[in-house]
Amino acid sequence: MLARTVFGAIVMMFVLVQAGNAVGKDDIQKYFNDTACKVKATTDPMQKREILNNSLQTMSKALDIVESSGLISKDDRAGIDRFKATLQEKQDELTGSNGYERVSDEQLNAFSDYVVQDMEQAAQTITISVLAAVLIVVLLLLI
Amino acid sequence: MQSSHNRSFTSATHTYPMLFVCVGCVVLGLFLFSCSSIPLTQRGTPFGEESALPPRYSMVFIIHGDGDYLYHDPRGNARRADEEALVGATRVAVQSPQAEVFIFHERPRRHFLLFFPLRDGEFYYYRHGRLLAKESYRRDQGPSRFDPEVELYHRFRAEARPQLVRLFLYFGHEIPEFGGAGYDASYSKRTFTVDDLADGLKRITGDSTKFDLIVLSTCFSGTPHTITTLAPYGRYIIASPDNLHLSYFDLDPFERLDVGLQDGDVSAFAKNFAHHAFDRLTTDIQTAVTVVVYDVDRVRGFLHSVDRVYDHALTTLKGQTPGSIEHCDCAEDPVYVLPGMSEGLDVFYRPPRFGRLKHKQNHSGWECWRRREQHALASQPLEPLRK
Repeated sequence: MLARTVFGAIVMMFVLVQAGNAVGKDDIQKYFNDTACKVKATTDPMQKREILNNSLQTMSKALDIVESSGLISKDDRAGIDRFKATLQEKQDELTGSNGYERVSDEQLNAFSDYVVQDMEQAAQTITISVLAAVLIVVLLLLI
Repeated sequence: MQSSHNRSFTSATHTYPMLFVCVGCVVLGLFLFSCSSIPLTQRGTPFGEESALPPRYSMVFIIHGDGDYLYHDPRGNARRADEEALVGATRVAVQSPQAEVFIFHERPRRHFLLFFPLRDGEFYYYRHGRLLAKESYRRDQGPSRFDPEVELYHRFRAEARPQLVRLFLYFGHEIPEFGGAGYDASYSKRTFTVDDLADGLKRITGDSTKFDLIVLSTCFSGTPHTITTLAPYGRYIIASPDNLHLSYFDLDPFERLDVGLQDGDVSAFAKNFAHHAFDRLTTDIQTAVTVVVYDVDRVRGFLHSVDRVYDHALTTLKGQTPGSIEHCDCAEDPVYVLPGMSEGLDVFYRPPRFGRLKHKQNHSGWECWRRREQHALASQPLEPLRK
């Protein structure tokens, strides 16, 4: 019985680690892709802007919570700071603040693709741990 | 009743070990089957008999897939960059009647029953458009990174003819110039740098001629150090000094090389390929697109003049945390702005359509390093660069 329990626990840990790895990294990218799909699915520029803004704000909020949770390392905090800065640039450009030209209504679909592609590229240089990524994904579901 | 129960119990104690043995045999059989190479019927055919003539073109594709290679196309479909590259390379191989094509796909390491590592490399060998060999192999064999690939290359390559055109293509994330731990998600302690790639190229080419063309389908490979390191092994190099989207360079021009390279003009072919790749990327990609052709002989002067400066910068930056340094166009650092900077380069560049660099109208074709400035964290857009 003990052997079976230990074996089960090992299998469960393995599955969780694998799942966490996939969920954390892939789902953050999927989140931005879903946003782009929603933006393209609507014709109203106001709605497009709102979808983009809400998406960026929700992600920023999730990052804030994870950063202040005390569960992540110093390296993770540095990564999250850069992640937040990148998101803030997108928000500034969307709204035309902090010296950025406001994204025009006609460019919102392209801008949503830009967010997806830029975040996919940023993911190669901004490193955060699997734990931090999983926490972010869980928070995105809850917020 | 009691005795019946005992009989059942005794019978069960005999049955369970047998059951375990049987299951164990099946599992072991499946495991061994999963590890074996897959010999094709064609393997029995001696090479060279498929066609009277030896190949005119030799192509080597190394596709790294042991990492985070997920991306989304503009229609929202999730794709894996390495699998897409494999499809593209296979299409090239099948449609190249005068070529031999080696494809190495480096995949994430998986385990059978948690503990038994499975083979994590796939090798395909095509000649005259036909798949002649397919083998799986372990990537961690040998002290050098590309030992298994080099061994397979020399085992299968056709006898070289004098006019053989040799092409090498690498697909993956940015090839580190220093450090390099963690490049493979499955081997956290294993390192990979551009020096390892150069070592692999050296052993593939052996004492024979260089590759006519090296294509680096990765981010940030157009640096002075990377081009210097690979220069001994290629006549022309195509690379992206900036970010390169994971949809990579389009391989269409490599299909039917007998048409595209009919006159043997590799320089013209390289420019045509780069132009084509650039056009395809700029159709769908909103971030920066930079594709550069380096004529290795003609860039030597510039590389020689910046060699020490760049190496010094690398040495200085080695100790920095990854977040505190970033890539930049070498033209933004005056020490690299020398008269021969654009000699031997064909630069195809379009700035990102959004973001703080959207007004940057030119790229020198060379990428350098710098310390990350506060502006990046403070979210202040840069002034448009004026050149």
